[in-house]
Amino acid sequence: MSQPKAPGARVLASYIPTAAGPWLSEADQVFDAETIFDYIDGAGEVYRSYNMKLLVARRFHKDGKPDIVVDAFDMGSSEDAFGVFTHDLDGEDAAVGQGSTYKAGLLSFWKDRYFLSVYAEEETAETKGLVLELGRAIAAAIPGDGPKPGLLKLLPPEGLEAGRVRFFHNHSVLNYHFFVAGADILLLEQRAGAVLAEYAGSGSARSRFLVVEYADPGQAARAGASFAGAYMPEAGGKAEVKTENGKWTAVRIRGRHIAIVFDEETEGKAGKRLDAFEALLAETAEGRKER
Amino acid sequence: MSNRTITRRDFLKVASAAPLAGALAPALKGASGASGTAGAAGAAEEKVRVVLVRDPSPLGSGGAPPAEVVQRMLDDAVRALLGEKDIAKAWKTLIRPEDVVGIKTNAWRYIPTTTEVEQALKRRVMEAGVAEDRIGIDDRGVLRNPVFQKSTALINARPMRSHHWSGVGSLIKNYIMFVPQPSAYHGDTCADLATLWSLPEVKGKTRLNVLVMFTPLFHGVGPHHYAKEYVWDYKGLIVSRDPVAADATGLRIIQAKRKAFFGDDRPLQMTPHHIQLADTRHHLGVSDPARIELVKLGWEEGILI
Repeated sequence: MSQPKAPGARVLASYIPTAAGPWLSEADQVFDAETIFDYIDGAGEVYRSYNMKLLVARRFHKDGKPDIVVDAFDMGSSEDAFGVFTHDLDGEDAAVGQGSTYKAGLLSFWKDRYFLSVYAEEETAETKGLVLELGRAIAAAIPGDGPKPGLLKLLPPEGLEAGRVRFFHNHSVLNYHFFVAGADILLLEQRAGAVLAEYAGSGSARSRFLVVEYADPGQAARAGASFAGAYMPEAGGKAEVKTENGKWTAVRIRGRHIAIVFDEETEGKAGKRLDAFEALLAETAEGRKER
Repeated sequence: MSNRTITRRDFLKVASAAPLAGALAPALKGASGASGTAGAAGAAEEKVRVVLVRDPSPLGSGGAPPAEVVQRMLDDAVRALLGEKDIAKAWKTLIRPEDVVGIKTNAWRYIPTTTEVEQALKRRVMEAGVAEDRIGIDDRGVLRNPVFQKSTALINARPMRSHHWSGVGSLIKNYIMFVPQPSAYHGDTCADLATLWSLPEVKGKTRLNVLVMFTPLFHGVGPHHYAKEYVWDYKGLIVSRDPVAADATGLRIIQAKRKAFFGDDRPLQMTPHHIQLADTRHHLGVSDPARIELVKLGWEEGILI
């Protein structure tokens, strides 16, 4: 196995074991945000959208057995490591790192500024055990924990499905989780931070709650006007509209934040969540400053 | 023409007729910002022919049926596509002896075009009179490949799979290796991939499109967007002169499989709108099923379309 030359890559590589049971590792491959396409084609855009800095890929091989691949991403911040982890939340909790899922041979988890994918090219009882063992070893080797995005503190807890919260920076990823519009009508532009959460309603009803944090209040105001014009043009300045599915969309702009409720069952419930958001915002340092 | 963007509310208006997944609903074309010229179906318009051929033979370890079965499938499809019973004559309408032919494949580690398809195509190109040294088979090296650099004809052959950024890996997308920086075409989740087909390296050269559907991937996970769980043995080939029509047909099969597997109209990860836009914005071909004549040959079990 060759050693990565970049200092950051050496550190990242040092967290990955050199063997997984009888599987032995091959030479590492190292990619950055420009070269990642050489490795995973268009999927690289997802990691770039979370500001990835570095990827160390290590393949484990044993003749006659499925390969196991570790992809270790340095995302530059724990917020973006958490964010890229939330891109795909399907699977069972594997209790690895600061958050993890396992499904179909793939273990994903995040810890500190790192996002890890440990993947068996074919799932068997043996490879599942090795994948989880590798993941736990890597998580143990990463020395610290990192904070989640502060935006998560603005999500009202009532009805929140805690395991269905996503953090991201651009409208393509928003649309991946919840299609809002073909164009970037919220002016996310890869610079804003956004959190999308699911809320349980009566029966199987689900509503979505989106909070976006912009660089300054002016940008939030422009984004709010853009959203209102494209998404609720008939509202005539009102902040709520009943949409074609009989549910409610409501928007509120406060400082450099926009909060939007989609598909809520009643206007009252939508307003209540926005009030709760506003109360949470007021408790933040930024909110106290605005008061 | 309207420049208004499509929003979720447009889908809600037509929810009963058009699932979010496709973003291909003809009802939304007017809102797409596209001129809609090619997509405006008219009853009197000639349909584009697409041939779907399937065979129940077991697949080999490489994911393809036996070579002789692949050859037969391809021949049957080309005959049906061109309305010519004699396979040699059929190929001579596609390829001239003086052509320099690039067979653009796809070398993705998990689901490649397969050697069986490559060799079946090469055999017929040679029988059309092209010398072997004037035929190239390549994917990632096409810009450096001397045959592709001199090519007068291209054959485009790749598998369809769900794709992390473009929705699906398609025939339209397969020409992305003709640019030095493929990521330059990733904007708006690959919306304008059809512009690749106007590059001097490929413009007007494509004689046949083969969408390999032996083991399509209908869903992906992780950085490599692959899990065996989401691959199934469909054992088909889709063949057409029109890459957009072939892709639109393959996409319908992928979506039908997703519906059968997940039990709902779960949207593809990233909207595969580059297929519809190849029609309505770039006029590369036809994406509207109402304007596609689908000819089905062979094995029908589990055909999904």
